[in-house]
Amino acid sequence: MSKKKAVMTSGGVEVREKPLKLRIWNNRGYYLMFLPVAIFLILIYYWPMLGVRYAFYDYKPVGQPTFVGLKHFQKMFETQAFWTAFKNTLELSIIKLIITNVSAVVVSIFLNEMKNLFAKKTLQTIIYLPHFMSWAVVASIFSLFLSPSSTGMINGIIFNGDTSKYIYFLASKTWWRPIFYVINIWKETGWGTIIFLATLSGINPELYEAADIDGATRMQKIRFVTLPALANTIITVLILNLAKVMNMFESVFVLYNNAVYDVSDVISTYIYRQTFAVALPNYGYSTAVGLFKSLVGCVLVLVCNWASKKTRGRGIV
Amino acid sequence: MKKKALSLLLASAMVVSLAACGSSDDSASSSTPADTSASSSTSTDTQASSTEASGDTASAEKADYHDVLTSLNMVVNGTLTATVDNGQADFEKQWEDAVGIDLQIQQLDHSGYVDAVGRLFAGGDYPDVIVMSADMFKQYAPTGLLWDMASAYDNAEFQSRMTLPGINEALKDSEGHLYGFAPTYGNGCVTYVKKAWLDAVGINADDVKTYDDYYNMLKAFHDGDPDGNGVNGDTYGVVAAGFIGNEAPYINYLPEFWQDAYPSIYQKDSGEWVDGFQEDATKQAILRLQQAYADGCIDPETLTASTKIAREKWFSNDQTGSSGVFTYWAGSWYQTLTDNLIKNEVDPELVQLAPIAEVGAYLNREAPVWCIIDDGDGDNTREQAIFDAFIETMMDGGTVQTLWTYGAEGVHWSTAAESFTTNAGTDNEKTYEYAEGEFHLLPSPNDPNSIWKKNHIDPALSVCELTNGYVAQTDLAAEGNKFFTENCVDAPVSPVSETFTNESGTIYDAKLAVITAVVVEGGDIDAAMQTYVDTVGSIIDQCLSELNQ
Amino acid sequence: MAKEKVSKKPSERMHVFDVVNYIVFILLGLLILVPIWKVVVDSFTKVGIYQFRLWPASGMFTLDGYKTIIETQALYRPFVNSVITTLLGTLLGLVLSTLGGYVLVQFEMPGRNLFGYFLLFTMIFSGGMIPEYLVMKQLHLVNSMWILVVKHGMNVYNLVLMRNFFEGIPGSLYEAARIDGCSPMGIFFKIVLPLSKAALASIGLMFAVTVWNDYSTVKIYITDPNQTNFQYKLRNMIMDGDTPTTAYEVSQNTLFNAGIISAILPFMILYPFLQKYFVKGVNIGAVKE
Repeated sequence: MSKKKAVMTSGGVEVREKPLKLRIWNNRGYYLMFLPVAIFLILIYYWPMLGVRYAFYDYKPVGQPTFVGLKHFQKMFETQAFWTAFKNTLELSIIKLIITNVSAVVVSIFLNEMKNLFAKKTLQTIIYLPHFMSWAVVASIFSLFLSPSSTGMINGIIFNGDTSKYIYFLASKTWWRPIFYVINIWKETGWGTIIFLATLSGINPELYEAADIDGATRMQKIRFVTLPALANTIITVLILNLAKVMNMFESVFVLYNNAVYDVSDVISTYIYRQTFAVALPNYGYSTAVGLFKSLVGCVLVLVCNWASKKTRGRGIV
Repeated sequence: MKKKALSLLLASAMVVSLAACGSSDDSASSSTPADTSASSSTSTDTQASSTEASGDTASAEKADYHDVLTSLNMVVNGTLTATVDNGQADFEKQWEDAVGIDLQIQQLDHSGYVDAVGRLFAGGDYPDVIVMSADMFKQYAPTGLLWDMASAYDNAEFQSRMTLPGINEALKDSEGHLYGFAPTYGNGCVTYVKKAWLDAVGINADDVKTYDDYYNMLKAFHDGDPDGNGVNGDTYGVVAAGFIGNEAPYINYLPEFWQDAYPSIYQKDSGEWVDGFQEDATKQAILRLQQAYADGCIDPETLTASTKIAREKWFSNDQTGSSGVFTYWAGSWYQTLTDNLIKNEVDPELVQLAPIAEVGAYLNREAPVWCIIDDGDGDNTREQAIFDAFIETMMDGGTVQTLWTYGAEGVHWSTAAESFTTNAGTDNEKTYEYAEGEFHLLPSPNDPNSIWKKNHIDPALSVCELTNGYVAQTDLAAEGNKFFTENCVDAPVSPVSETFTNESGTIYDAKLAVITAVVVEGGDIDAAMQTYVDTVGSIIDQCLSELNQ
Repeated sequence: MAKEKVSKKPSERMHVFDVVNYIVFILLGLLILVPIWKVVVDSFTKVGIYQFRLWPASGMFTLDGYKTIIETQALYRPFVNSVITTLLGTLLGLVLSTLGGYVLVQFEMPGRNLFGYFLLFTMIFSGGMIPEYLVMKQLHLVNSMWILVVKHGMNVYNLVLMRNFFEGIPGSLYEAARIDGCSPMGIFFKIVLPLSKAALASIGLMFAVTVWNDYSTVKIYITDPNQTNFQYKLRNMIMDGDTPTTAYEVSQNTLFNAGIISAILPFMILYPFLQKYFVKGVNIGAVKE
C-alpha cells in the first residue's frame, strides 16, 4: 500500500521519507561509482578468503588437503610460545601505535606553527626521508650503530671505548623494546604527519583570527582550535591502524633475535618460524593462526567502532 | 658423533680419500664395487626388461627420449651460477643444441627457495626436474611426489665413469628407492685463520693442535693488538653466523666448540635414534661457548649476525672489531675470501687450520640433489626419458657435463687462442694469455674484471669426472678442496619423521633459548636444559619413537 | 617570502615560542639525518666501514658505487618496470579510493553502512598467503608485474582516509551543485576532485611509495627476471646475494649504500614538486560558514 503511494508522490523532491526503491534509484550513480571498487575487493580480498577453510585441514604442498577439525587450534592454544607471541603482539603494536601517532601529532602541530616556509618545507622533506627506506635497510643501519662489538658507535659514546661494559642493546630483554619504539618513531613519525598536516591545511583561518581577537595565546590556539580540528583524523587513523595491529611483522622480524623472543616475538614472526623455516610446510597451521589473528583484530575494531560511535556519534566508515 | 664411527670413517677416508666423503651411513659406508653390482643385480631381477633395454647402445636410448619429450621444465635455486645476468641464455641454448629438446629454466630466489617451491607445488605447477637441498629432499622423498630413479640410476651409462659411487648409494632409502641424484658431494666448512694476526701475536698455526691451543689463540687475538691499531681488546678471536646453525649439520660454523657434540636428533651406531642436544657432550660444548663469550674470544655479534654480516666483518678493510678466525666453506670460498681481503687491502694470507684433536675432522654435509617429478600415471616412460635427457647427460663426461660444470662455450669458457686483461689500470691488473686449444675460463659475463669460476657443478666435488680433460681451478680452490677432502667425515644423516617435520621450528626455538640463556646471559646450564625438556621433551620423545619403530 | 609575512602581521613577530620551536626542530632534523647521513657517506666511501664518519676518509672517496648502479644493465628493465607500475598503481589507487571514498560520504544512500563494513572487513580478514597465491594464479597475475598495480591499487586504508577528506567538504557545495543539475559524476569531477588536491597529493604519494618500495610481493609472486621491480633487483643483487663475490669493482658495502640512496632518490626529486600541494593545501574552510 504505502509503496504504491510513495511511487505516486515520487515526483515531489521535498518528500523526506522516500521509499527505499526510489532512494536506491536516485543514488544509482553512486552505486555505479562503487562498482569498480567492489569488483577489486571481491577479486583481491574476498575470493582468497574462501581459503580460511584450510585452518581445519592438513594442507601441504604435496597431496590433497585432509580435514583435521580443530587440531591446529588445539596445538596453537597449547603452545606457550603462541601465547607469549599473542601478548607481545598486543603490547608492542598498541604501544607503538600510540607513541608514533602522538609524536606525529605533536610534530605536525608545531610544524604547522612554523612561519618560515623554507624551514617548514626543508624539515618536512627531512622527516619524510626515513619512510622511503625499507625495514631491512633500517635494521642494518641501526644494528651497526647499536653494535656491542668494539665498533659500536652508541656504546662507544656512552662507555668511552671501554668494551667490557658494552651493552648488547638488541639482545637485551631490558633494552629491546625501548629501542624498538625509538626506531619506529624515527622511521614513521614524519610519514605519519602527512595526514595530520593535510588536515591542518584545511582549518579555516578565520578560526585563528577569531581566537586572536579573543586574545588567545599560541598554546591556547593549539589547544582550542588546532587539536579539535585534528580529533576526527586522529581517531580515524588510530582505529584504522588498530585493525592492523595483529599483522605486525616486518619491523619486528628484522630487529629481533632469539635472545629476546620473550619480549619481541609476535604472532606473525611465530608463524613465520613455524612454517617457513620448515622444509615441507603445513599451510593449515599458519591459516589457523591467521584466522585467530583476524578474529582478535575483528573484536578490536568492533570495540573501537563502538567507542567511536559513543564518543563522536559515528563509526569509522 | 661418536668417536668410534669417526675413526672408522677416518680409516676409510685414508683408503679412498674422496670416496669416503660420499659414504654416508653405515649401510652404505662400505659401498665397494661388489656392493654396487649386487644392488644393480637385484634390480636386474625385478626390472629385467629395463635392464635389457639399457643393454642397448647409448645412442638408442637417446633416440628414445626424443620420442617422449619435446621440452623439459626445470626449477633451480641460486646454485646455477649462470643466472640470467650471467649468460644463462647461452647455457640454455647450448644445452638445447646438445640434448635436442627445449629447456625451460625457472630459477627461484636462493633465499626463500623452500617457500617458493612449496607455493609452486600448492599451485599445481610441477616441473619435470627440480634441485633440492638435503633437508628439503628428506621431507619430500616419502611423499610420493618424486620418481624412484633407482633402476634408471643403476643402469645409467655414467656408472662407468662414476668416481664416487658412495654418494648416491647413500641416498637410497632402506628399501632401495632412490628419489634424487646428487651430482656432487656436499662440501663443508674448514677453519681459516689470518696469517698476519698469527704473526702479530706470535703463534704458529701448526702448533694449534688441541682445544686449549685454539682457545689461547682466540684469547691472544682478543687481548692483544693483532690488527696493529695500537688498541688492545678491540678485536675478537672468532666470528660466526649464530652459535648454532639452522640447517644440518648445525655445528659447522663453530666446530672447535661443539667438538664431539651433535645437538640434534641423530642415529647412533647401534641404529638407535637419540636427541644429541640432551647429551652431556652438548652441555659441555655450551659451557665452552659461555666461557669464550665471557672472555671476549667470540665476537658478541655472532648471536645476531647473518652469514653475510659475519663474512663482511671478517674481511672488512677496517679490521677493528674484526676477528682472526672464521670457519667457512672449503674450496672455492678459500679463493673468494682471499679475493675479498685483497680487494679490501687487508693482508690476504690465510691458514687452513687442521682439525684440532677434539674435533678430529670437519663435517661434510649431505649433498643437494636433482629430483624427477613423478607424473603419477603409473607409467615410467616419461620419467625415464627425463632421466636420460637430463641426469644422464649431466654426467656425460663431455659436452653437457662441461656446460653444467663450467658453463657455455665462448661465454664462460673457451679453447681459442686469446688474451685478456682484468682490472686494467689498477694495482691488481692481470693479463691472461692462452694458446689455441688451451681450455680456460673467461671473464664473467656480468663482470669483466673477475674470472668466471664454475657453473652448477663444482669440478672438484663432482661424482663423475669429465673425460675431455678440461680443468680450470685456481690454485687456492684446488688446495682448499684437497685440504677438506683429507680432513672430513660425513655429517650424521638427518632424521625423517612426521612429528619432526611439523615441529622442527619449535624444537629449534627451544635450542636457541638454551644457548642464549647460557652463553649470552651467563645462565645456569642445568636450569636451561630443564626448560628445554619441559618445553619440547614430549615432542622429542614422539619423534624418537617414530624414528625407532 | 617569510619575512613579508612576518612584517605584515606585527603581532606575530618571533618570540620565545618560535625560537624554541626552531631549535627543537633543528635538533630533531639532525637526529633523523644522522643515520641517513651514514648511508650517504658510506655510499661515497671506497670500502666497508663499520664506524660513523662525517666525511669519507681521505683518499677513500669514490663515485664507483653509483657508477656501477648506472652501468649495470640488469637494473634497467626492473627500473622501467618500477616506474610503470608505480605510475599505474598510483593512478588506479587514486581512482578507486576517490570513487569509494566519495560514495561513502553519501549519507543518504541506502546501503552505505553495508559498503563500509564490506570494505572494513577486508582489513581484518584475509585468506592467508597460499589462497591468495592460488587466486592470483587464476587471475594470471603470478609472474607478472601487473600484480603490483592490482594488489596495491585497492587499499582500504587509503580509501577511508580519502573519505575522511571528502567529509570535510561542506555539504552546501553539493546541494548547490545538485540544484544546478549536476549528476553525481559531475559533482565528483567539478567540485570534489578540484577541492581535494592536498588529499590527492598525499594519498597519491602514499600509493607511490608503497608500490615503488614493494619487495615482498615480487619475492612471492614473481620469478621471471623480466617482470621484477627495481627494489627487488637491487636488493637481490647487493644485499641478499649469498654467493657475493668480487663481481663488482666497488666493495659490497659501497654498492649497498649507493643502492639505498638510489632507491630513495626518485622521491627526493619528486617531492619538492608535490610539496606545494601539501603546504598550501586547499582552503576548504573558506567556504564553510
